[in-house]
Amino acid sequence: MLGAAMIGIAALVLTGCADSGTAPPPPVPGQADTSGYDQIIAGSPVADAAAIPAGSWADKVKQRGKLIRGGTDQGALFSLKDPATGKVTGFDAGLAAMLAHYITGKSDADAVELVITTVDTRETLIQNGDVDAVFATYTITEPRAQKVAFAGPYYQSGTSVAVRADDTTITGVGDLNGKNVVTQANSTAVLALQQFAPQANAILLQDDPQCLAALQQGRADAYVIDESILVSAASRNPAIKVVGQPFTQEPYGIGLPLNDPSAKQFVNDWLQKIYADGSWAKLWQATVGSVVKSDPPAPPAIGSVPGS
Amino acid sequence: MGVVTDNLGFLLGGLLVTLELTVLGFAGALVIGTVLAVFRVSPIPPLRWVGAVYVEVLRNMPLLTLLVLVVFGLPDIGIRFSLFTSAAICMAVFAGAFVCEAVRGGINTVPVGQAEAARSLGFTFTQSLRYVILPPAFRTMVQPLVNIFIGVVLGSSLASAVGVSELTNRTQVLNLQSAEAVVLFLVSGAIYLVIALLGGAAGGVLERRVSGGR
Repeated sequence: MLGAAMIGIAALVLTGCADSGTAPPPPVPGQADTSGYDQIIAGSPVADAAAIPAGSWADKVKQRGKLIRGGTDQGALFSLKDPATGKVTGFDAGLAAMLAHYITGKSDADAVELVITTVDTRETLIQNGDVDAVFATYTITEPRAQKVAFAGPYYQSGTSVAVRADDTTITGVGDLNGKNVVTQANSTAVLALQQFAPQANAILLQDDPQCLAALQQGRADAYVIDESILVSAASRNPAIKVVGQPFTQEPYGIGLPLNDPSAKQFVNDWLQKIYADGSWAKLWQATVGSVVKSDPPAPPAIGSVPGS
Repeated sequence: MGVVTDNLGFLLGGLLVTLELTVLGFAGALVIGTVLAVFRVSPIPPLRWVGAVYVEVLRNMPLLTLLVLVVFGLPDIGIRFSLFTSAAICMAVFAGAFVCEAVRGGINTVPVGQAEAARSLGFTFTQSLRYVILPPAFRTMVQPLVNIFIGVVLGSSLASAVGVSELTNRTQVLNLQSAEAVVLFLVSGAIYLVIALLGGAAGGVLERRVSGGR
């Protein structure tokens, strides 16, 4: 991990020096190609004036001229900040930018203001009105739906298992009991692990690089998290491999204020529009699809899970 | 509150880990800090330098940085402790720097004339520390040491960031299940408050006891 950090710093310095050049940096696996990505957002639909009634949730965003999004800047594939440019890209970040574009008609970086949220703060920040919407691989659960409204689900994911490449003893979630299993402390994979491998010794770390380091250094025998994150990691790192099939269904939703029903209705209508015109599939292809290497899945039906 | 009462055993297990980290960390810090303070007041320059460098490095580094370095950096050079051991070591070496300064500060409150008197009576360096300087110095160290103890209690919550399943880490897990962040963090905050208050009260008792002879 230290070595990786050093390389990261060196890369930062190098890109900093190379800014005056015109050659674009080589694409990094797991990160979106941002030129195509920007076009997808700019090409996504814009709401008719009639769709935004005065005083509604969307009208407040429109008057302000930007969407205040709750989320993270450290989620590979979904919402990751490029330290060289300061730009946050990914599937969640792109959807937030599309929603801001839909409401305000703007697709520049100022259309979305990112407020960093964690699992500990998401519901409270929505309830207090500090953020308009949370896009943060936010799994729809019924306890959460008591506090916030969920638009969507907009993506159906699943928790999977990764192990060191030379490990042949673990072939799926069924082999995890009694093993040291690392996962991200703020993910629903923690709950999935408790349910599917209750005898596993769970180690909860803060982020993806820490979990990968723990797996490679032998602190943990397996790493469980969203499958796309594992596929992305395995594509960059030959020392680990993904085993078995996803063992959960994680419907991701957009967290919205519960006390303003116009918000959920409006965002669901917008999701239908980007499903229908293909913007959703194009964004998936440019982000998660860049490592999963398959055709875009069919988007999940709006309101199809409890709590949505 | 249901989420707290339903998971009381789980939370109390976390409290136990927090207490273990605190006790081990603080005890280790007392040993390390006292040895270093003796280094820093010793007549041997290289020992004084070692003490000074240790204090300046450890005292001026975030505890979280130290935790990440020990947990993820040391395995790169082939040294791997368990997560709990790593956290306890970090607490001890980090707080040790502060204990050193508290002990040294206490020693410096004893007038230099007393040390000179001890030396003129033929006391060795160790004897003058043990019989002349440390007993009165200890009185003035109690409150600074209580502050460091509280720092260790609260600092142990950072171990949650490197995967130690202590009170804060378990509070986060419960919040993941229940989405009751406010209630859960109020409860865990209250538990830290109680531990710190008890530590402060014990320090008060100790202070009255050691100054009883005056």
